[in-house]
Amino acid sequence: MPSTHDWINDPFGVVEGMFAASQSDPNSGWEARAVEFFKDRLKEKDAHTLVPSLNDIPMHYLKPNSLVKFRCFIQDMFDPEFYMGVYETVDPATQAKTLRCGKYKDVTECGVDFNSKNTVTAERQTFYCVPIPGENPWVKERYANSSQARVVPSTSYVPSRQKRSYEEDDDMDDMDTQPQKQREAHAGPQSPTEHHGNGDCKRQETEAPSSQTTSASHLDLNFPLPGEKGPSCLVKVYKDWDSFKLNDMLEVYGILSVSPALSALADEKDASSSLVDPTECMETAEEQRVHCPPASLVPRLHMLYAKQLQHNNPLLPSAATSEDNSAFLASTLSEMPSVREELLAYLTHVLLGDALAAEYLILHLISNVYVRRDVLPLGKFTLNMSGCPTVASYTERLYQIIQQLVPSSHYLGMSLQNMNQMRLVPKKDYVANRLVSGALQLAKNTSLYLDETQLEQGQLDTTGVRNVTALGNLISWQKVDYDFNYHQMEFPCNINVLIASEGRSLLPSDCQIHLQTQVAPSHLEEYLSTMHMLSQASSQLNKFRIYLSVARLLDYSISDEVTKSVEDDFVDMRKDDPQSISAEDLHRMLVVARLLSLSQGQTSLSRDSWLRAKHIEALRRSRMEQHKCVNGNEP
Amino acid sequence: MDTELSAPVVVFTLLPRSYLLRIAKKCKRFLQEFYTEDDNGKKLFKYGAQLVALAHREQVALFVDLDDVAEEDPELVESICENAKRYTALFADAVHELLPEYKERDIVAKDSLDVYIEHRLMMEQRGRDPADTRDPRNQYPPELMRRFELYFKAPSTSKPKVVRDIRADSIGHLVAVRGIVTRATEVKPMMAVATYTCDQCGAETYQPIQSPSFMPLVMCPSQECVTNKSGGRLYLQTRGSKFIKFQELRIQEHSDQVPVGNIPRSMTVYVRGENTRLAQPGDHVAITGIFLPLLRTGFSQAVQGLLSETYLECHSITLMNKTEDDELGNEELTDEELRSITDEGFYEKLAGSIAPEIYGHEDVKKALLLLLVGGVEQAPKGMKIRGNINICLMGDPGVAKSQLLSYIDRLAPRSQYTTGRGSSGVGLTAAVMRDPLTGEMTLEGGALVLADLGICCIDEFDKMADADRTAIHEVMEQQTISIAKVSLITASWHHDLPQRPLLYSSSSEPRLRPLQPRKSIEQNIQLPAALLSRFDLLWLIQDKPDADADLRLAQHITYVHQHSRQPPTHFTPIDMKLMRRYISLCKKRQPVVPESLADYITAAYVEMRKEARVSKDTTFTSARTLLSILRLSTALARLRMMDTVEKEDVNEAMRLMEMSKDSLQADKSSTTRTQRPADVIFSLVRELAAEGRGAGGLVRMAEAEQRCVSRGFTPAQFQEALEEYEELNVWQVNQARTRITFV
Repeated sequence: MPSTHDWINDPFGVVEGMFAASQSDPNSGWEARAVEFFKDRLKEKDAHTLVPSLNDIPMHYLKPNSLVKFRCFIQDMFDPEFYMGVYETVDPATQAKTLRCGKYKDVTECGVDFNSKNTVTAERQTFYCVPIPGENPWVKERYANSSQARVVPSTSYVPSRQKRSYEEDDDMDDMDTQPQKQREAHAGPQSPTEHHGNGDCKRQETEAPSSQTTSASHLDLNFPLPGEKGPSCLVKVYKDWDSFKLNDMLEVYGILSVSPALSALADEKDASSSLVDPTECMETAEEQRVHCPPASLVPRLHMLYAKQLQHNNPLLPSAATSEDNSAFLASTLSEMPSVREELLAYLTHVLLGDALAAEYLILHLISNVYVRRDVLPLGKFTLNMSGCPTVASYTERLYQIIQQLVPSSHYLGMSLQNMNQMRLVPKKDYVANRLVSGALQLAKNTSLYLDETQLEQGQLDTTGVRNVTALGNLISWQKVDYDFNYHQMEFPCNINVLIASEGRSLLPSDCQIHLQTQVAPSHLEEYLSTMHMLSQASSQLNKFRIYLSVARLLDYSISDEVTKSVEDDFVDMRKDDPQSISAEDLHRMLVVARLLSLSQGQTSLSRDSWLRAKHIEALRRSRMEQHKCVNGNEP
Repeated sequence: MDTELSAPVVVFTLLPRSYLLRIAKKCKRFLQEFYTEDDNGKKLFKYGAQLVALAHREQVALFVDLDDVAEEDPELVESICENAKRYTALFADAVHELLPEYKERDIVAKDSLDVYIEHRLMMEQRGRDPADTRDPRNQYPPELMRRFELYFKAPSTSKPKVVRDIRADSIGHLVAVRGIVTRATEVKPMMAVATYTCDQCGAETYQPIQSPSFMPLVMCPSQECVTNKSGGRLYLQTRGSKFIKFQELRIQEHSDQVPVGNIPRSMTVYVRGENTRLAQPGDHVAITGIFLPLLRTGFSQAVQGLLSETYLECHSITLMNKTEDDELGNEELTDEELRSITDEGFYEKLAGSIAPEIYGHEDVKKALLLLLVGGVEQAPKGMKIRGNINICLMGDPGVAKSQLLSYIDRLAPRSQYTTGRGSSGVGLTAAVMRDPLTGEMTLEGGALVLADLGICCIDEFDKMADADRTAIHEVMEQQTISIAKVSLITASWHHDLPQRPLLYSSSSEPRLRPLQPRKSIEQNIQLPAALLSRFDLLWLIQDKPDADADLRLAQHITYVHQHSRQPPTHFTPIDMKLMRRYISLCKKRQPVVPESLADYITAAYVEMRKEARVSKDTTFTSARTLLSILRLSTALARLRMMDTVEKEDVNEAMRLMEMSKDSLQADKSSTTRTQRPADVIFSLVRELAAEGRGAGGLVRMAEAEQRCVSRGFTPAQFQEALEEYEELNVWQVNQARTRITFV
């Protein structure tokens, strides 16, 4: 039996051993057993933390052909590939033929007998994966810290590594221009996120950001969000690829392949696209670049095992085994009401003393599309927070607070320039044959923060109109229509949209709350400057983070009795004043009641929660009446 | 799933020689003897005739329909499908051998290669000693001599596959796929046979080329050069070489063939000879071809390593437009499916299956169902009467208008959804745009053009710019679209695109301002009456308190939240796909109104007119109403899959009309609201006109004012009402302000 060290550093040894053993018995199902072997190994306590992660270890520290993991997001799916599952090599000296296994490999040994009768063609699928878009720094850091993988750069690094890519050489040469470049890359109209990067030098060290950012300028790695960094990967999937969907979050365990031969392959194809070879004209140079990027930039990862992530919160046990998970959920359930109180107090403080808005913000942060019925997504709760002060970049500060609380988020300043220029909707590029990503290609439960206070008067051009429509569709139906040029394809999504605006937003929303600050405008600056920011790693902050993620994972039910009383309530309310409540309002109130119960750690609706939901809804509506005519956006 | 597929990379299975001979004979016999009988029982030799044409170079491509082969020998079809490449060669050999027999007269050479071939053949006959054996490479390869192309047409029994279903096990098989062309290269000549001449001995050498790249021959292999060791060099001869047209396509799956959350797959198709230039990017195609691995040689093979690329060698391309393509998926409904639809209460059931998540609104749903089916278009003596039904939905906010619309958008096979606010001036009709690549001007279809022959859903119609409404106006009645955009200065270029959208529009009322049922519709949605009358049905969906209905509504909503699914109804909603197929089936019917019903309808119409005059109707009953009834009843007959309209259809149509009118005057039953003075004044004046004191809808101003004042209105109120209705174009006041004329 191979030791721990072996299966991480030399997974091929395991695979080939099993392959060789199976030769006597063709029906041994060695492939399934190999996958099973790795799965079992990873199940062992903490075993998965021993596997180095592509996310936090720079690639040149990783040993080629070793087992690595990658926390990623499926950005694109390529066409399937046919490869030789089994092939035969001929030793040039002895003419001895050997059967070899072609699985989990990109390049063959020399002397392959292409006409061998024993060749078996098999199929595999390639996914283009990028790090989870909008993943917040605290998540990355936490994951990195929990890793116990030992990488020994000094020994494995030099000999096995291929030639340094020339982009990196560039960096060495012009270190002076480097900061400037970086600024350019991030100076994009959005991202106040940069405020955060400053403090932690430790991360900079481990991440080797220079090669990533600058290489991105040479080769577009197609990240959904501008200013992102990190490795992207071509993940080769050998089984069950139908169970993966676009925009899924995965943790992939696989064999890293960075063979320089892959780049050579690409070069060769480039060179050979000459006149005599008509077949090559179809594969444009661009397509080559996208599908066969140099392995030094986009490594190949041959998937042995992957688990779909329900969440990317490092503080929660990963949902590998649901039994563990439910035990964990049960343990936190009792604490939830008290944590909720603390969080409410904190958010009230952040929202300038408005407790009701804080309440709604909590509901928004734990909302989740739990089911989809035909066109109707249930459980979405888009919040429009109007009346945001425009001084002292309040909205951006608010985003920073949210960023600290949720695992992934993105700030989108809705300035005219952004709206007219940004690519929000992913579009298929038929020349390069890939899906060009857009800012709305996000993983589930990502918080999208739309800052409408940035919007000024002016002209929206065609792109702008399309972008605004896309945002509207996202909010109303939780779907994004990807542009496939000849037609559009609908991709359901599950994104929490929070709109901060001065007046009522021009975008639709499930719920609008007008911020009532308890702070006099004159004191606002002062208040904000003293605003208490929780320190990065405070235990309170961690409690909040766990709380928000757990509330989303809970099951929920409504008993028949409560249903009955809700129905009666509705009829009564209609009797008094039919204008007071419509079917839509009932929908919303049921969602509010659901979220309210979950936020208190209750997994079923109680009469009290229902009354409370009615109460806060009434409060909110009365507030809306007061602010009815703030701007012209009321239709 | 097991990924290992036992398909060999080597495709061309070698067959025993005797077997091959037998097959070759079979092919020959089939081509010679296959015939169909025409009406007079005369034998028509389908392939025989084509062979004649091929022999005289009047035809290039010969399509062997595997349906025909199946008639003679079903087993052969199976083996053809499994080893298509091999059988293409076998059939081509057979044709080649047969051609001389079919040659009836001398042919005129069509191109230089013809002349070339002729010369070579003549030379061979003349000078060659029959016993003289030649190096095989100096013989004329059959590929060079053949000037025809042979293709298979897949049997109609095999269904076109989806790109993602073509796996490694289809390698070497004849497959049919459907898809949309996303890329097409230019057509290029590809060398099929390279011909060389030797600079020493003058002998010709031929090199048939199968792979995409080849290594040119250098040394002359002829007997003479080899024995003399003269080292003759070979030179490529372009005129003697054979080139074929070659094009590469990339097809991609249709959006409806892709599972949710997946990216459409694509596939490379190699197209040769006569099949080139048939498809362009954006076309929907069905392609029959052989799925093959791309064989590389030499260095690229080594580098290529483990991967083998694949392509589809095209045999036939069928273009289909979107509607035909839809029909392809819509084979005849099975009896069982038909029964499930057409049993008791199918009309209610179908209507109820529209947007089942929205509770109630049965009549609105029925109307929408009729819209989907559509009435029969009539064109007596060149006058075109549209068959499409236009519907306008109005109502309080939050009454699920948008949901209804978006459901229809999803259900209709071809539809366009837009909102009044979202659709800019360009949005609705058509715009002229400059193509960024080629710089040429192209016609960009807006929502209405795109919805041609489909359904156009416009949400929040009232928020639309006036100019666009005018465009809709035209579309709704004339079913044409005029293209006159600023970028085209040629004044009012009236272009009749074949245009037939069913316009179906909904108008949301501004939030926080509930509808005022007492106001006329024009006031409520601020649409001109002229446009309103183009709608066959107007629905005002109102939110009225009603304990029973409210309870049912509440139950419905809470059920959804409680169980995360739809409440059980007394029927299960019909599946969307089945609905679509049934509707397309209905659309094929062209029911007529029988003579006997004409009287009934006329009588009913007269009655309606009378009623409208008596009651103070907010809508206008006109001849258009009659047409609407006809449209609705033909749609109903279609729905029943009948070829004649029956009395019940007319009754139901009139009931729907009545219901739609009722919805507009919804407050009859509820508390009496005080009428606005202007409205009362209007009705007073109308009464005057009806009494006939002023002839022909003419009322004298003084008289009217007197009447109103006597009823307790102030002259100021009267003047206000006068202006208000004048603005609405209900009446006109002459310049001296002495007379009111009804329009």
